[in-house]
Amino acid sequence: MLRANQIAFRYPQEGHGLTPVSLNVEPGRITLVTGPSGCGKSTLARCLMGLIPHLYHGEISGEVWLNGYRTDEVPMWQLAEKAGMVFQNPAAQMLAPTVEDEIIFGLENLGLAHDEITTRLETALKDFNLAHMRHRNPQTLSGGEQQRLALAAILARQPDALILDEPLSMLDTTAATELIAYLQKFAADGKALVMFEHRHEYLDGLPELHHVALDGKERETEFPSANLSARETFKLNIDQLHVQLGKREVIQNLDLEMHSGQIVAIVGRNGVGKTTLLRSLAGLQKHGGSVKVSTAHGDETPNFGIAFQNPDLQMFNASVREEMLYRLPNPDLHYFRWLISALGLERYENTPPLLLSEGEKKRVALGLVLMRQPAHGLLLDEPSLGQDQLHKTILMRLLRTLADAGQLVVMTTHDLTLASHADRLILLGPGGEVIADGLSDAVLNDSAAWQKSGILLPDWFLRGRTESR
Amino acid sequence: MRVSPAGRSRQLALVEDSPLRHADPRTKLFLSLAISLVVMTSIERLLIFLGVYVLFLLWARLFIPTVEHIWRLKWVLILLFFLDWWLISLDHAMLICLRLILLTGVFALFFSTTNTRELGLALEKLRVPYRYAFSLSLAFQSLGLLDDEWRAIREAQSSRGALPNVSSFWKFITNVGDLISLTVPAIVLTTKRAWAITEASYARGFDSPHRVSYHSLSFTRLDLLLITGTINLLILLFWRW
Repeated sequence: MLRANQIAFRYPQEGHGLTPVSLNVEPGRITLVTGPSGCGKSTLARCLMGLIPHLYHGEISGEVWLNGYRTDEVPMWQLAEKAGMVFQNPAAQMLAPTVEDEIIFGLENLGLAHDEITTRLETALKDFNLAHMRHRNPQTLSGGEQQRLALAAILARQPDALILDEPLSMLDTTAATELIAYLQKFAADGKALVMFEHRHEYLDGLPELHHVALDGKERETEFPSANLSARETFKLNIDQLHVQLGKREVIQNLDLEMHSGQIVAIVGRNGVGKTTLLRSLAGLQKHGGSVKVSTAHGDETPNFGIAFQNPDLQMFNASVREEMLYRLPNPDLHYFRWLISALGLERYENTPPLLLSEGEKKRVALGLVLMRQPAHGLLLDEPSLGQDQLHKTILMRLLRTLADAGQLVVMTTHDLTLASHADRLILLGPGGEVIADGLSDAVLNDSAAWQKSGILLPDWFLRGRTESR
Repeated sequence: MRVSPAGRSRQLALVEDSPLRHADPRTKLFLSLAISLVVMTSIERLLIFLGVYVLFLLWARLFIPTVEHIWRLKWVLILLFFLDWWLISLDHAMLICLRLILLTGVFALFFSTTNTRELGLALEKLRVPYRYAFSLSLAFQSLGLLDDEWRAIREAQSSRGALPNVSSFWKFITNVGDLISLTVPAIVLTTKRAWAITEASYARGFDSPHRVSYHSLSFTRLDLLLITGTINLLILLFWRW
């Protein structure tokens, strides 16, 4: 049904792409493609859908066959009748002003009769539990709802094949598990399904799974020994913090105390206010209540560095070195050398950051924050989003080193494996309230708290914890 | 007033209970064009029109959203007013500001009562090729997102001390090169968003020659009233009296 034969592609400016690969996606099975960041997963997904060569131009060799059509020989709209594609960032693929218009858009393009469009629209709204939000603006939905809508909009077109490029990366565990259930139903109908994903744990053990691992050029670098000077101990006191965004009170009278030398993970469903909390700690969000740091010498204004979800917000210099040293009057070059090595970026020191893979860019963004040596520590918003295992390993080693040197590291995450490596875990409920707070292990074992938070602890995660004991 | 949820904080929200929400978008385009034409008239007639326009906005339950929208331009209006008064005359300053207020109001009037799908459909019915009508409606839809991204970039750069110092005009001029810390990320994000939307639309058969329109437009008595009323008003305003 969907077959790639020694397909290879190279983007004209960027110099990287996809090395020759063959893939056969059989109907009725879920084909999972994994591989390290930058190995060409997204490029292969585009080749399978026909977006390469129809939208992207570059050096291409090999061929892709979709339902008997060679993808480079038929127009894009004809390929889109046979296959659908769901992308990594759900917000970026929303085209219409309302949920129902989002679904109608693809059905109009099929040239269907009015009644048929109505029938398919209603079915999609019902099947994907979107009927109650049909008139809402897709941009106001949560990440999980948006990804569900993206899938509904594609599946309403009734394609024979479905291609998904990291659809789970921005979802919490509940939304990710729901999505997998929809995909299993799709494959069970004898359709072809290929999924490119780092978070393959959600699919491991499925009977219909066919796992393909792509080779990557990433190699693990040695972590340099750290010689960071120890900081004075301090406490971060959050007292009656409340934040209102528009008419919605996102954080209501939150009291927390955090200590230097800790890695704290904040976990909660999409939209409960995790990022708003981080922004408040960084001084970027107008808020009520107080956030202050207490030391042996008295209270101080918090001084944290913050690493954002999207590294593209900050990259503009001509090299990684310039990016990390930008506007530092007297940079500590000894610290710079250690940091760039700890981040595994030594060989990219003179490379423009915009040419790096997403994972590498995230590490540069982390590096430029750390080069400023914030007095109290680091705040990270979804640091493992879309990252492969190597990036996560580098990240955790670095965070542990910083915490050992007396810094406070606070991160928001959907990644339960990452959260389990933190010292402390704070679980937020649907209204942004603290449901559980304590040692990571203890909170992860509190199944009642997880149920209350609306976050599902997936089977693969529970199995992994049982086995590790 | 019942206001539907807007996409983002600074996006214009649809005023669902405005009578104009039920008018054909082509009528609203005509209204907008007519008002844009009226701004070319003299200050006396413009003041008369302003009175009629305020009554119309009150009837359409759009007075508050329009004022809020114009309020965002307050500093531009104040600067313009005093510059024109100083350089030319008070009459001229008033005329220019009134024109700008009316034109800004037109934008609010149209986008508070028309969503981008309706705009695209209206353009299609006016024989604008679908590809362009779709692109234009998508561009308007993305305005709020671009605004959010711009703010996110400013925030991210300020958190690392890379925000250009533009606290005064002189500092802006001397540090203009530093604006690169804002412009490069803005270009990168906009390009990425444009590509993401292009991919998503092509993956759903955007360029299909078999495309049909699910929604349709039809003129009602309200449209007829609005169009004839506007034409009469135009005749009155431009009549030699």
